[in-house]
Amino acid sequence: MGLALACFVANALCFCAWATASQQLPLDLAGRAVDPFAAGSKLTVLVFVRTDCPLSNRYAPEIQHLARRYASHGVNFWLVYPDNAETPAGIQEHLAAYGYTLPALRDAHHFLVRMAEATVTPEAAVFRGSKLLYHGRIDNRVQDFGQTRVVVTAHDLEDAIAAALDNKPIPPAVQAVGCYISDLR
Amino acid sequence: MAWATITLRGPLAAQKPAAGHARGSGAENFPQNPTFSHDVAAILYANCVQCHRPGGAGPISLITYEDAKRHARQIAVVTEKHFMPPWLPDPEVVSFADQIHLTEKQIRILGRWAEQGAAPGDLSQAPPVPQLAAGWRTGKPDLILTAPAGYVLPAEGSDVYHNFVFKILVEGTHYVKAVEIHPGNPKVVHHANILIDRAHSAERMEARHPGSGPGFDGMDVEMESDVFEPEGHFIYWKPGTPVWSEPENMTWRLSPGTDLVLNIHMRPSGKPEPIQPSLGIYFLDKQPTLKPMLLQFDRDDALDIPAGARNFEVADDFKLPLAVSVYAVYPHAHYLGKQLEAYAVLPDGSRKWLLMIRDWDPAWQGIYRYPQPVSLPAGTVISMHYTYDNSDENPRNPNDPPKRVTAGNRATDEMAHLSLQVVPAGPSRGGDLRLVLQEALARHKLARDPNDYGANYNLGALLLSRGQPADATFYFERSLTQRPDSATVLNSLGAALLQSGRMENAMTRLQQAVAADPEYVDAHYNLASALALSGRFGESAQQFKWVIERKPEDADAEARLGSVLAAQQNYDMAEAHLRRALILDPNNTVAKENLRLLEQLRSRTNDHAR
Repeated sequence: MGLALACFVANALCFCAWATASQQLPLDLAGRAVDPFAAGSKLTVLVFVRTDCPLSNRYAPEIQHLARRYASHGVNFWLVYPDNAETPAGIQEHLAAYGYTLPALRDAHHFLVRMAEATVTPEAAVFRGSKLLYHGRIDNRVQDFGQTRVVVTAHDLEDAIAAALDNKPIPPAVQAVGCYISDLR
Repeated sequence: MAWATITLRGPLAAQKPAAGHARGSGAENFPQNPTFSHDVAAILYANCVQCHRPGGAGPISLITYEDAKRHARQIAVVTEKHFMPPWLPDPEVVSFADQIHLTEKQIRILGRWAEQGAAPGDLSQAPPVPQLAAGWRTGKPDLILTAPAGYVLPAEGSDVYHNFVFKILVEGTHYVKAVEIHPGNPKVVHHANILIDRAHSAERMEARHPGSGPGFDGMDVEMESDVFEPEGHFIYWKPGTPVWSEPENMTWRLSPGTDLVLNIHMRPSGKPEPIQPSLGIYFLDKQPTLKPMLLQFDRDDALDIPAGARNFEVADDFKLPLAVSVYAVYPHAHYLGKQLEAYAVLPDGSRKWLLMIRDWDPAWQGIYRYPQPVSLPAGTVISMHYTYDNSDENPRNPNDPPKRVTAGNRATDEMAHLSLQVVPAGPSRGGDLRLVLQEALARHKLARDPNDYGANYNLGALLLSRGQPADATFYFERSLTQRPDSATVLNSLGAALLQSGRMENAMTRLQQAVAADPEYVDAHYNLASALALSGRFGESAQQFKWVIERKPEDADAEARLGSVLAAQQNYDMAEAHLRRALILDPNNTVAKENLRLLEQLRSRTNDHAR
């Protein structure tokens, strides 16, 4: 589905062009449409998660660490739930249980999923404005199902953020391992 | 008394969930358009939902169509990789009881179902959901033990190994048929096993390593066991495991004063998880007639794995001095283990495979039970071959960059253990055949490595129990060179020296034992005995009193205190303690003898007085 980027402004995405598709927009937990790219941050990081994915849940502390570390650098983190079966109440509970203090969005129509080219949870995507710079794994802890590293040796998301802040080339992304977003159609 | 054997144990884990084969359509034809109702549900219900159900060990439920659909592609991928269902042994080489295994056809069905969009089919025709009993599945336990609250698994980090100590408060000796383990949080507990602690070793470990909650950390815990009753049972929990009940003739003894140590392997989930396990114990009023033992092979001495080695191999061959029947096997290695195999070559040259794991994963280690006990005649050679990958290609390598790795208890060390549950057979000549096996195995290990701590200690304890204290001393001395600060070895060495009549040396060692571990009751007891035999009655009485304060139900200590007081001519106090000993144990010979002597003494004194 082609998205007409008719309205493009540096650091902001204009949703006006999609007024007719407004029911596809991501919603916050109060049900309001949200543009995560409009906050005027240097970088926007979307982390796709599910309440029922153990691989995604295990990353909660690390996601929080990264968000905290880069908050003062003008990087905004958002949790994105691509599951149309999840309810705001269910997500609230999930946030509380896992100690998440990040803003959460429900992306039932996979609008952000498509922008980020995300395929699994957890998967992270880094944007400058609405330009996708990186999407892939957070780190190399999970090599494959059943192949979890004891020592993490590559911090892909962090490297991508640091490179982007420095206007350096982003290292090549690596496919994340996780629960499939395609199962949530 | 205090003679003890150390049986070195690794964490044990449980058998796999109940097997079942999806009958499905029954036909050999492959379903072109599989649906949940007609094809997929049966596969999931037979192989997956014992864990993947609400409240189960799996992180997601796969019971309803909606549940399964939300994970359809994931199911296809993990089954195709043979990651799920979790079963390490190769079923083509050795079949075990309760194995779970999907056929290639079943895996293709799951793959096709996901590919084609996870069709429901007619859900009203779906097979019934298997029911699993809630609560204690084995029925009402005879004894329920719950760990104290307060242990919390941290939200992040690598795997954690933790031990909970359960004190058994029973009256008299019982025989256990089953232990149902409720790990407290089956979603984060990967496996759990129970070690029988007959000498309060764990309590002492907990005191030495206080943590912020109950229990103490540690991947592999050493346990002392009674030399008269070498450990013979695997007691464990694994996700989705049916609870194992021993056959009626193979129960195990649980006496007062025994502790059970629950060794748990956990993986952080992303949020802090309170863990409060409980145990349900089921007794049977019958003494066992079959006495198994755990034959514990190891090649830890050969584990010196260079950094970068991809296929480091260790092997061991042991010739059985007696016939045995093998009931179950437990292989154990840490993160570098790759291929683990074991087999037996019989005297007629034929080979029986005991184990084949091509891709070891310590997270899914388990106890595997043979569908029928495997008979191995005397003269059979049991062989183990384990390989290790210490390169950076091994994602589980705990060192980055890879480092040289040797044997040890920590997760970053390695192990090469193979434990077989066996029942020996053959002409008994009055002795316990298990001790014959134990001695043969200890000597086998010492021939290869004279410094093998466990083998030296076990052999020492065995010889001491046979009334060969001088020989025992030799092996305990060797154990001591390996562990000069071990209160356990110092105590056993002291006891052996005492029995050999080497009083001064015995005293020195026992005093060292008590200094090394001031709360070591058995060492205090032995020291008290040594002091008494040296005529140092006052000091001896002090030590016996100390023991009684810690163990008020110890009839032997009361009896010996009584006899020491009598030796000091403190007859009234002596009598009081001797009588107390008889109340605790009406058959206590020391108490009976001494009271008789006391009575004789008293009547003679009275005669004199007249």
